[in-house]
Amino acid sequence: MEEKKLSERESLEVIMAMINRTKERYMLGDGNILLMWGYVVIAVSALVWALLALTHNPAVNWLWFLIWIIGGIATPVMARKKQIDKGVKSLYDKIISRLWSIVGYATIAAVLSCLGFLLIGGKDSWAMMFEIALIIVPIVEMAQGVLLDEKCFIVGGAIGLAVGIFTMCCLAGDVTLYAYWYMPLFMVTIAVMMILPGHTLNYKARHRK
Amino acid sequence: MKELDPLLHSQLRLAVMSILMNVDEADFVYIKEKTESTAGNLSVQLDKLSSAGYIDVEKGFAGKRTRTVCRVTPKGRQAFEGYVNALKEYLNL
Repeated sequence: MEEKKLSERESLEVIMAMINRTKERYMLGDGNILLMWGYVVIAVSALVWALLALTHNPAVNWLWFLIWIIGGIATPVMARKKQIDKGVKSLYDKIISRLWSIVGYATIAAVLSCLGFLLIGGKDSWAMMFEIALIIVPIVEMAQGVLLDEKCFIVGGAIGLAVGIFTMCCLAGDVTLYAYWYMPLFMVTIAVMMILPGHTLNYKARHRK
Repeated sequence: MKELDPLLHSQLRLAVMSILMNVDEADFVYIKEKTESTAGNLSVQLDKLSSAGYIDVEKGFAGKRTRTVCRVTPKGRQAFEGYVNALKEYLNL
């Protein structure tokens, strides 16, 4: 493309051509961040479950913090790399990034609240973290699916939300979430919610190139 | 009939603005690839758009390499919208 004067019709053609060229790059990003969260959550869940079964020491539950430490460090690094690789930040990227930031702030507020309950009132309220993982995350994932027009995000999010509502009903109804059935359910839900959509997105992105 | 903005009424500058109107931000390499322009020419046109206040150009680093990121400004957005409206008048759309 060179520096030259245009007729009105040529101007319109240039605008339309650029709109079409920018579309192809931001229709789908890659699913690596979602995959990272999915694998980290499942790995830490399996670790905590195994250590609890072996040691019966409730202090093992502090290992859940590994999810937020690993994810919290890796996410901005991966997001920056992704943006540099793509060379562009679309309006969708901006909205999606802000939606996930809300999840991050909600998580910090929830952790501080649970710590407050534990340290001040001596009450164990950590089960509410399931609300973040299986209510707020699925809602944001479905919103992302709607924005990207990706069914795997909407379906994965809907399944996560259904399990989240079930979990909330159990907690509200004093139904004990025994590890032997709840941990596998939780891990399978995370796989359906994050790992399957992550791989689907990567597969589609690869095949569009 | 409105006059077409001479700054936008050129192929490469219009292409750059069309891209930036459609994204939040884009780097030099991306714009160069999409507009199929040469680095030298693109650089000159980006300077012109930046001097007019139509785009913000931010120079930074990605690792050891320089990275130039461009964004459209509110003034640029307004100018582009005015340009498209004027085009519609000319073309009776």
